[in-house]
Amino acid sequence: MIQRELLTEALHTAMSSGADFAEIYAERTKTNQVSMIDRRVEQVTDALLSGVGIRVFKGLRCVNASTTDLTRSGLIACAKRVADALGEGKEEVSIHLNERRFGDIHPIRIVPATALKQVKIDLVKEASDAAFAQGDRISQVAATLLDVDHEILIANSDGLLTSDRQIRTRMAVQAVASKPGENQTGSCSPGRRMGLELFEMIPPRSIGEKAACQALTMLDAEYCKAGTKTVAIENGFGGVIFHEACGHSLEATSVAINASQFAGKLGQQIANEKVTAVDDGTIPNAWGSINIDDEGTPSARNVLIENGILKSYMIDKLNGRRMGMAPTGNSRRQGYSFAPTSRMTNTFIENGPDKNEDIIASIEDGLYAKQMGGGSVNPLTGAFNFAVTEGYIIRNGKICEPVRGASLVGNGKEILMNIDMVGQNLETAQGMCGSSSGSIPTDVGQPLIRVSSITVGGR
Amino acid sequence: MNQNEMKQIISDAAAKAGINEYELYFEEAQGTDVTIFEREVKEFSSEEVAGVCFRCLTGNNIGYASTELFTEDELAALPARALENAKLIESGDAQPFYKAGDTYRPVVLQSRSPLASSSDYIHTAMEAQEAAYAADDRITTGTETSCGGVRKKIWLFNSNGLDFSADYGYDVLVSGPVARDGEESTDGMTFAYGKLSELDAKNIAKTAVSRAVSKLHAKQQTSGQMPVVFSGEQMCTILSAFLSVFSADAAQKGLSLLSGKENETIASPCVTLIDDPFYKDSPVQMSFDAEGVATFTKPVIENGVLKTLLHNRKTAQKAGVASTANGAKHSYADAVSISPYCFYLQPGDASFDTLIDGIESGVYITALKGLHAGANAITGDFSIDSEGFTIENGKLGGAVRSFTVAGNFFDLLKNIRGFDNAFYLDYPSGVTVLGSADALVDGLTIAGK
Repeated sequence: MIQRELLTEALHTAMSSGADFAEIYAERTKTNQVSMIDRRVEQVTDALLSGVGIRVFKGLRCVNASTTDLTRSGLIACAKRVADALGEGKEEVSIHLNERRFGDIHPIRIVPATALKQVKIDLVKEASDAAFAQGDRISQVAATLLDVDHEILIANSDGLLTSDRQIRTRMAVQAVASKPGENQTGSCSPGRRMGLELFEMIPPRSIGEKAACQALTMLDAEYCKAGTKTVAIENGFGGVIFHEACGHSLEATSVAINASQFAGKLGQQIANEKVTAVDDGTIPNAWGSINIDDEGTPSARNVLIENGILKSYMIDKLNGRRMGMAPTGNSRRQGYSFAPTSRMTNTFIENGPDKNEDIIASIEDGLYAKQMGGGSVNPLTGAFNFAVTEGYIIRNGKICEPVRGASLVGNGKEILMNIDMVGQNLETAQGMCGSSSGSIPTDVGQPLIRVSSITVGGR
Repeated sequence: MNQNEMKQIISDAAAKAGINEYELYFEEAQGTDVTIFEREVKEFSSEEVAGVCFRCLTGNNIGYASTELFTEDELAALPARALENAKLIESGDAQPFYKAGDTYRPVVLQSRSPLASSSDYIHTAMEAQEAAYAADDRITTGTETSCGGVRKKIWLFNSNGLDFSADYGYDVLVSGPVARDGEESTDGMTFAYGKLSELDAKNIAKTAVSRAVSKLHAKQQTSGQMPVVFSGEQMCTILSAFLSVFSADAAQKGLSLLSGKENETIASPCVTLIDDPFYKDSPVQMSFDAEGVATFTKPVIENGVLKTLLHNRKTAQKAGVASTANGAKHSYADAVSISPYCFYLQPGDASFDTLIDGIESGVYITALKGLHAGANAITGDFSIDSEGFTIENGKLGGAVRSFTVAGNFFDLLKNIRGFDNAFYLDYPSGVTVLGSADALVDGLTIAGK
């Protein structure tokens, strides 16, 4: 993307006012999107994002600047903005960039850019048609195929020069089921760090059917009653509970400045002993996987919680300095115009000791949360929430009628202790996680779990 | 590369590709942001980015292609890329690009000056940070203040003769104090925007601190149906989650339950909702929309009656009406969609005390979280994580947390009993700035302990 000589010159310029570390992140991202609604192709767009972010550190201070001007003068001007903002000082380092390749453990068979757009349209049509085929009460289907080819280059004053190419593919289907004066929705949106071979593994038909069936189920459901309940949360996107109740609060972004309820708790019990949780960016072809993070640190499998004991945080370079701890390969950014910070990759609760049927059978009067929507958390207070998009009443140990409109709220510290049964069908699901360094792909996951007591919002 | 060079390269390439009808939408953004932690600059960032989107018309289809790489090769490749995309569209309801010779009302903006110097932003942020620590002994580590500015320029050019630009910008100060008492921590994020020299750093910090401190020792809210007062800020949060129900595009696709409800009563008589591209206190004012149509002020709901949905040219043509000039691009690369400008619920005359006067037992909601998941614009349903204060015998009581408020947006519109006169204008999102005063609503369910 950028010549080594120019990278070196820009790093020197960035450090010219006394920084002790400088980094250049260059990005070239092609995104293609095909969208259908009302059984017709409505949008075909492609965009090229291209730019550079330059960062310097001096102790715990950080200055960054970004530009889309990739000419020599544009890059040097950007580096100079960084140096000027840092203030007075002198450069005292020499920089020798050595190219290092970390290897790619995410093979891509059908690079989406090489496929005809008509092939992609046919895939979207298959999903849309399958959703409409679920019955007359399906009143609308919106289906989108998105593919992203994200090339990054990282060079820093420690001499690192490396790059990675991240190809991701995702299909999202939203179905609407209607009866007079009333709508309900269902959605399904699988994605992977792979090419169009994704749809050999997950046929588009199955994606459309799943979205439509959920909408139909919810159309016949009553509103969930509010109250404090025992809840069984299913695998896959159910893992959003850990992502919100704990994951964000283990990111150095909040831990380093003492704005997390889990700051200073390493080695202490913060969850029920049945809970072991992992952040693993090295799973081949998984949605949240990365070969290297956006600072060029190789990705890793980090055990966050082992049998309830807090083992590790997720740490980037800058917050690592504040904490006196090494980076864990979790520094991520949406793109060049966002400063990176510690983020999750693929984060999940491991399989536990309980049989799934025992978990359901143990609940006399509660909720079975089969499908979840997104959520959010305030790491400072630990207050978190997420939506149940497909829920069922559990009565006398049996899953009964569906209920709509439920949400779950609680406090991370309390709820982690309340995860008192952990099942054995670990599965992950895909999401886009939003935080200060932008929107990034992450996997959440877990087996079926039981939360002994949590506030269920409803009518 | 300047705009004329860029225009020339793309026009030549379009002619070569046999494209006669096209549009260029160029966006340039500059930003500065500084964050203070403890008593030092923790982070400073500066952004200078630009992108261009090319759209072309072939038959009844419009195709898009965009780039941020301003090399001759990339710019010259845009027309062919857009044409390929256009040929695959099946909805086939596009019209020629706009040229109607509208009269464009000029905007009067608060802050159009260039970005301030970094030391000025740092100075203001530092002043607020110091003021936050000075305001209360319980303010502690974790407290951050950020200050910065954005400047945006949009340029629209099409083959039908439209050629104009707009710019807007504002400075913003965000005070984020953390209050700690024993094991308990709370925060109190508060912002203000406008011209840097006019931002009252000390006052903003004081407000933020009193918010953080007032949330300490919150109790669990009890469950049940009760009157709810949403703060103006949270009425904006709710409005933002359900914004798409006012879009004619969503209505025409069966994704809004307001479809076909024009001139019907959809809200309580005290509800008037206005879309004003020129609202005096809004930091983002626009005299043309993303398709070049001249903007104007209109009521969307007037005394409870739905007067119009928001249209762009495509939805207007389909409905057989004129565009309401709400064609929008959230980012330059996006297809034209629909967004309001300053979109606000008209405030009432009463004070806050009068608004809550008759409430025996209720709740005043000052924070709502997770609406991207807990609120569904297609169904209208919501069940949302909340924080606030109790209302007892007509008076504000203690802080409460960890409860949900649930209902349906379309019922909520009908169950608004009144607004007070404390008008709040939210932070801009693209060209949209939402506004509302505190609102009293009946018929909602609270789930707590």
